[in-house]
Amino acid sequence: MKPVELPQGTLEMLILKAVSLGPLHGYGILLRIQQISGERLEILQGSFYTAIYRLKRRGWINGEWGESENNRRARFYSLTVAGKRELKTETAKWIDMAAVVASILDKKADEI
Amino acid sequence: MSLLAAMRKLWHSVAPRIHSDVEEEFRSTLDAYQEDLIRQGLPEEEAHRKARIDLGRPATQNETYRDAIGLRLFDELGGDIRYGLRALCRNPGFAAVAVLSLALGIAATTAMFSLIYAVLLHPFPYAGADRIMNPVMIDDRYPDEFSYFDLSKAQLDEVRIAAPVDSVLGFNGSHMEITGGGLPEDIYCAYLTENAGTFFGVRALLGRSIEPSDAENGGRSVAVLNYRFWQRHFGGDRHVIGQTLEMNHTPYTIVGVMPRSFAFNDIAGVGDVYLPFSLMRPVANGPSIAYLPWIKLRPHVSLAAANAALEPIVLEGKKQYPESSPDHRHLALQPIIVPYQQDLGRTLTLLLAGVVLLLIIGCANCSILMLARGRTRQHELAIRTAIGASRWRIVRQLLVEALVISCTGTVLGVAASYWLARLPLLLSPDSFPAESVIRINASILAFSVALALLCGILFGLAPALRLSRNDPARALPGRQAGVAAAPARHRWSVLITAQVALTLLLMATAGTAIRGFLRLTQMPLGYDPANVMQIGISLHVQNPAEWSRIQSREARAAYIEQIRQKIASVPRVSTVAVGIGATPPDADVQSSFIIDGTGDGEQPQARAVLVDQRYFAALRIPVLQGRIWNADENSRGDFIAVVNRAFAKRYLSSSHAVGRQLRIPGLTPHNRYQAVSAQSTTWRQIIGVVGDARNNGVDQLVVPAIYIPYTALIPAYAQFLVRTEGDPLTCLHSIRAAIASVASDQQISNSASAFNGTFTLSEAIERDAQYSRQRLFSILFGVFSAMALALALVGIFSVVAYSVAQRTTEFGVRLALGAPRAHVLWIAARIALVSAAAGIVIGLAFDSFLGAVLAHWMQNAFAAGSLFAAAALLAVSALIACLLPARQAVAVPPAEALRCE
Repeated sequence: MKPVELPQGTLEMLILKAVSLGPLHGYGILLRIQQISGERLEILQGSFYTAIYRLKRRGWINGEWGESENNRRARFYSLTVAGKRELKTETAKWIDMAAVVASILDKKADEI
Repeated sequence: MSLLAAMRKLWHSVAPRIHSDVEEEFRSTLDAYQEDLIRQGLPEEEAHRKARIDLGRPATQNETYRDAIGLRLFDELGGDIRYGLRALCRNPGFAAVAVLSLALGIAATTAMFSLIYAVLLHPFPYAGADRIMNPVMIDDRYPDEFSYFDLSKAQLDEVRIAAPVDSVLGFNGSHMEITGGGLPEDIYCAYLTENAGTFFGVRALLGRSIEPSDAENGGRSVAVLNYRFWQRHFGGDRHVIGQTLEMNHTPYTIVGVMPRSFAFNDIAGVGDVYLPFSLMRPVANGPSIAYLPWIKLRPHVSLAAANAALEPIVLEGKKQYPESSPDHRHLALQPIIVPYQQDLGRTLTLLLAGVVLLLIIGCANCSILMLARGRTRQHELAIRTAIGASRWRIVRQLLVEALVISCTGTVLGVAASYWLARLPLLLSPDSFPAESVIRINASILAFSVALALLCGILFGLAPALRLSRNDPARALPGRQAGVAAAPARHRWSVLITAQVALTLLLMATAGTAIRGFLRLTQMPLGYDPANVMQIGISLHVQNPAEWSRIQSREARAAYIEQIRQKIASVPRVSTVAVGIGATPPDADVQSSFIIDGTGDGEQPQARAVLVDQRYFAALRIPVLQGRIWNADENSRGDFIAVVNRAFAKRYLSSSHAVGRQLRIPGLTPHNRYQAVSAQSTTWRQIIGVVGDARNNGVDQLVVPAIYIPYTALIPAYAQFLVRTEGDPLTCLHSIRAAIASVASDQQISNSASAFNGTFTLSEAIERDAQYSRQRLFSILFGVFSAMALALALVGIFSVVAYSVAQRTTEFGVRLALGAPRAHVLWIAARIALVSAAAGIVIGLAFDSFLGAVLAHWMQNAFAAGSLFAAAALLAVSALIACLLPARQAVAVPPAEALRCE
């Protein structure tokens, strides 16, 4: 299967989702998203970190130093209350939008 | 403090993670990724390499981070500023000239703004000062004139409870003397109703102000000191609270000192000491106690509504004086700033226009410098463009450099303005409210920061746009060969033209002001003010025992004459005369009079001046016809008069003035303190005509005057005009002692006010409104135009110097090929010379057009002569500023110039 390219702005939503499942360090988030997507998403390192910093600046995720699985110091990110709310609204919005777009694209000529 | 806290907060929000923090996180990611790669089977070497290729370097990560949180612009601007500062440091000459030309303009503008702020926008320290009103009475027949009036206790109470009124202050004043020390000292006491503390809302510097409890038991004997009086009399002693001050033989306890900015009030007289109103005692046989009111309105009350509500209360009491014809009068509440606005608004507007011109010239100068220097920077800018800088990036860089210059200039300028703003106050102290204190405050700082940004953009934008439009392909191939580089179109020539035209405008204004002032100083006064001093005394109306002794006209005249003789016996005193409000250049009030042989219908006006027979000798006013009255006639007071030449010329055929009769119906007492002669209003024979001495201000024509023996109408004060050998002020102490030898507690007036003060006649001239205004204008505009001239010359000089430095090769080639030196000189200076000449022509045209407007504003004729003199001066200096650097062009040995190539 071909790798999927993400539309603008969706990477942040995915990071929030990944973090909502439990605290993760930066590289871990990347791996988890790729894992959940079945290795179909190609995420560029540069934009990935920009997104993480931006989320942190907006106060949706919070980072704390901790030990990683291979005994290294790493920053573990977790969802804040504001982040949870954001994830919920964004998810609802996305599903709505996807449904509308899909329903339009699915229509056949005789159904219109 | 709050600013610091805010900055710390900002820092924490933008810098939650410092470099090493971001870097450490990055490294852990890098390691984890690398291990993953190894696990996927890549050799360690390869994994190491691939991880670094994919993720980049830690430094890049840092940039990603700062970019993500929006700090990129910040970082770049920081870089621009650092670069700008470095560029300025590499060119200290350029930087110094640019910064200084801007600093001059900003210093002058900020100074003028702080002056306007202190004098017109925020002159009073009182709480709600914009709601404090000075009620005045306006006579419908003369709407431009207004008079202050007083209220009775009952009226004051009625006003206090009126709907639009927030609170009312009643005040009055009285001269007293400090007793219990050596020589008695005159002091002006302001009595304030006991709500003064809350009415003014000004916190005392030491102790407290007048408060309601001071009214208890008929008034507590407490005194609050004015700051200046405290400085003068107590030397600023901070332990003065609780001490006793003895005035008119009564002890008062000092309970407070007011701050420097509190000087209530200019109109009724600034009090040296503030006392509770309850202490004010009615004078024996005097009128009942009157309250002068200041009314503070409630917020959002319109003046018209307040006038309508208060007018019935105020007019009620005035019906008892039928001569004041209440039908014609109405009340007008006047904001307390109004008297100053009328006098000062125009002066300050004109000065502000001057400094703004100066600032514009300064900005133009910076633009010129940047453009001229820009030609040497084209190479650098071309390289930046070639390696990918956008045009916006270059414009920003140049703007930042301009702002660095303007901010440095502002810092210097604001510091200098602190002193500059005091200059007008020093030159013309009486035209400004006593309470205006000039200090740098937040509004003034905000003003100068805004000014700095504005100037930076103003003078930076044109050069930035010009220099950024640069084709790297043309600029890069190395230094352009001299002769081939045809001089680009010089934007700065337009700027030089504008600069020179504006400079000429300022110089012409200064010329007009200086000419006007010189004319004023050279005008014949008609009297000799040198070495003459006025000494005012107030008679003691408050003390019943003393007052009864001098209440009769004869006793009072004898008392005044006794003091006069004592003063005359002081060494080095040559003549002593008595006058009552007769001191030039402003002598007494208009009165109407009647001349024999004319109908009663006419009411010609003249000044009625009360003096003794020595007045004319003391002031050296010549007798033209007839004679002056003698001592006997002087003590009688009636039947005779002397007129001035203006009077004789206007009302009598000059040759037959002596012997005619006139009478002054208005020569009757206006209050109970005045003592009048038996037949003061009957016919008087004109026995002499004297020369015209200024009596209506230094610059105004002499108005007709009638001189009458002062004994015809003696008020409770008198002035002595003392002519001495040498400086009269050095005799002051002996004169005071002489006066005290007549009556031990007869003080002389300390105030410098024109009315009944003590001052020399030369001081009186300097204080004259028109005189001090003209002097202020000529000095300040002289300074402004000198600065403007210096700026314009620096501009011209640097433009020529830069272009010569750049075209060295070209000039060398020209000389080598045999061009005459004069021709090369002409080429080097041509454009600057032509622009300067164009500037002068435009300036001349503009000034002739503006002349009428200016003349009106400065109350001075605009002289074509001074305009041409200014133009000539400007032309010569511009020529020199062109030729000095242009000479460099022909001084280059051709061989050396060619070797530069």
